Amino acid sequence: MGVSRRFVLFGTAAAAALTASLPSRISAKTVAVSGDAEIKGRLMRMVKVAFPHAQFPDSCYERNCDAVLAAASADPGKVVMFHQGMSDLKSAGFDGMDDAAALAHLKSIEGSEFFQLMRGTTIVTLYNDHEVWDILGYEGASFDQGGYINRGFNDLDWLPEPRITEL
Amino acid sequence: MNAIAQDEAAVVIIGSGAGGGTMAYELTKAGIPCVLLEAGQHFKLDDWTNDEWEAFGQMAWLDKRTTSGSWRVAKDFSGLPAWLVKAVGGTTTHWAGATPRFLDYEFKARSTYGEVEGATLLDWPITLDDMAPYYDAAEKAIGSTHLHGRPPLPANNNYKVFANGAERVGYKKYATGPYGTNAEPYDGRPGSIQDGFNFQGDKHGSKWSTLVREVPRAVETGLCDLRPQSHAVKITHDASGKADAVIYVDKDGNLQRQSAKAVCVAGNSIETARLLLLSDSAMFPNGLANSSDQVGRNYMRHLTGSMYAWFDKPVNMFRGETMAGIIKDEVLHNPDRGFVGGYYMETLSLGPAFLAAFIEPGSWGPEFANWMDNYQNMAGMWIVGEDMPQATNRVTLSDSVDQWGLPAANVHFDDHPNDIAMREYAYEKAEALYNAVGAVGTHRTPPYPSTHNLGTCRMSANPEDGVVDKWGRAHDVPNLFVSDGAVMTTGAAANPTLTIVAHAIRQAEYLAGELKAGNI
Repeated sequence: MGVSRRFVLFGTAAAAALTASLPSRISAKTVAVSGDAEIKGRLMRMVKVAFPHAQFPDSCYERNCDAVLAAASADPGKVVMFHQGMSDLKSAGFDGMDDAAALAHLKSIEGSEFFQLMRGTTIVTLYNDHEVWDILGYEGASFDQGGYINRGFNDLDWLPEPRITEL
Repeated sequence: MNAIAQDEAAVVIIGSGAGGGTMAYELTKAGIPCVLLEAGQHFKLDDWTNDEWEAFGQMAWLDKRTTSGSWRVAKDFSGLPAWLVKAVGGTTTHWAGATPRFLDYEFKARSTYGEVEGATLLDWPITLDDMAPYYDAAEKAIGSTHLHGRPPLPANNNYKVFANGAERVGYKKYATGPYGTNAEPYDGRPGSIQDGFNFQGDKHGSKWSTLVREVPRAVETGLCDLRPQSHAVKITHDASGKADAVIYVDKDGNLQRQSAKAVCVAGNSIETARLLLLSDSAMFPNGLANSSDQVGRNYMRHLTGSMYAWFDKPVNMFRGETMAGIIKDEVLHNPDRGFVGGYYMETLSLGPAFLAAFIEPGSWGPEFANWMDNYQNMAGMWIVGEDMPQATNRVTLSDSVDQWGLPAANVHFDDHPNDIAMREYAYEKAEALYNAVGAVGTHRTPPYPSTHNLGTCRMSANPEDGVVDKWGRAHDVPNLFVSDGAVMTTGAAANPTLTIVAHAIRQAEYLAGELKAGNI
C-alpha cells in the first residue's frame, strides 16, 4: 500500500475528502513538485518543527521529506496546492523564524490542505522508518528471531513479579 | 477439492470468521455439506508479515464504507468505521485474544438496568445457563488459557505494570487471561513465542483462529467447499419466501449463483446487515428478514478507549502477547458509578507506526514528539465496556458504491450519555492505576475504528423487536440464519469472539438437528 493510499485513510476528513474527489490514478504524470534545494530546505524545517525529535538524524527526516514530495506530486491539483503553500510560507518569513515562532506559524495554518498533506504523510512515514524504530527502541519484526520469549518479553525488573491468575 | 455443484441446494455460509468458520466445521463434522463463501483471499501463515502498515494493507477490509454521526471516528477515519479483516479466517486472523464470557446479568440488560432514556435495551431470549455448555465447548476449541486444564501465559512487561497498578489501587480480579493463544502446545498448535504480533496475523500458529483450526478441519471432512474471493452480494428467495440461493462475485468479477437449502450469514455485523438490506425484493421491500425494520439498527461497537502511560524506566510493551492481561473488577452493574453496565481493562500495545496514527488522531507538535520519543517507557491498556443499543445507531445503504457498483455500508454512530459517562470514569480509573506505579505522564486515547461490531440483526423473543430468534434464525425467513455478532441483543462488556463462537456452535447443533429432522 502506497503512502497516498494510507493518506486517504488516515489524513483528516478534509484532506481525505479532497483526495477522494480526485481521480484515483493519473495515467500520465506530467507534473511533479519542484524538489529544488529551497523547497526541500523549507519542507525539512517544517517537518522538524512540527515533529521535533532531537535524536533523529537528518537522514530520517530526508526520507520523510521525499515521501511528502511524492505525495504532493500525486496529481496536478496537489502540485499547485503544495507550491502555493510553500510560497505562502516564504512570504510569511518562515525561513527566518526561530523555532517558537515557526511552531506558532504552523499552528496558524494547521487546518490547511497544505499542512495536512505534510502531517498525514509524516505520521505514516516518519514513524514507519526503521532507523526511527531503532532510535525509539522498537525492535520491529520478531517472528524470524524466535519472538521475545528468550529476548526480554518479561525483563522489566523495577516492579515486583505479579501473580498471573486470579486469587 | 470438495466441490459442490452450484445447482445443488446446499447449506451456504457467508463469511469464514469466528461465526462462519465455526458453522462450517460444526456442520460438516455433523455430516452436512456446506459451501463456504469468503470475500477475501486464502492467506497462509507464511504470508503474514510482522509490519503494521504492510499487514494492514494486506488484511484489512478496505472496500468502500462511509460514516456519519457525532462519533470521533467519523471525523478522523471517515472511510474506515471498522478495522476488520477480509481473508479466510475473517477477523479471527487479527483478533487480540481475550476470551471472557458474558455474565448472567448481561443477558438481562433491560431487566437489570431498567429503562435507560434513548437506549433500546432488551433482554436476550437466552440466558447464561443456555450458553454455558457452548461456552465450555468454545473455550476448548480456542484453547483459552486458565481454563479446562490450560495453563496461564506468563507475565510480560506490559502486564507487570498493569498488574502492579491493579494491585495498588485495590483491584483483585486480574490475570493474564483467559486468552486465546497457547501458553504451551495444545490441539496441534505450538505454545506462544511471545512475538508481539497479534493484529497482523500470527505467523507462528500458537494463536487460535478459524484459519488454523475450524476452516482446515471443515475442508478435511471432504464436505466443505471453501470458495475464497467469493463476495456475496444478494440472497434470493423462492415464491414461499424461503432463501433459495446466494449470488456472489467471484475472483474474476463474474456473478455466480449457488443454490441454497439454508443460508447462514456471518459477514461481521456491518456486512451482514448490508447484505440483508441489499437482498430486497417485491416480497421483502425493506430488505430480507426486515419486516421489523430492525436490520441494521442497534449497531454497537463497545465503549472502548485506551490509556497510555509513560514511566521513567523502560517497559518495552511491544514484547509479548498483546492482550494477555485483563482486569475484571469493574465488570458489574453498579449505578452509583454514574452509569449502567461495566467494563474490562486489558493490556494493549501498538508499534510506533500505529501509535503515531492512533494515539491522538490529528495530533502533531512537541508534545506529540515527546510521547513518541518515550516509546520504550510506555505501557498501555484498552478499555472495553458495554455501550447502549440505540435505534439510530445504524448500518444503512450509502449513496456511495463499492467496487462492484453496489451501495456501500454507511455506519452511523452517536455515543449515548451512558457511554460517555462510563468512558470518563474508566479513564480516571486507568490513570489512577498507572499513577499508582509511578507514571510520569498519561494520555487518554479516543476509540479506534471499531473492532467489535455487534447487534445489527439482534436476537429477540418478539419478532417486532429484532431480526432473529433465540437460535439466530430470522423471524421472517425460516431457513435464514445469522451466525455472527450481529445477533447480539446487547453487547455486554466482554470481547465478543468467544460468545460468537459459542453461539455458532449452539446454532450449528440446532440447524443440524432441523436439517436431519427434515424441518428445513
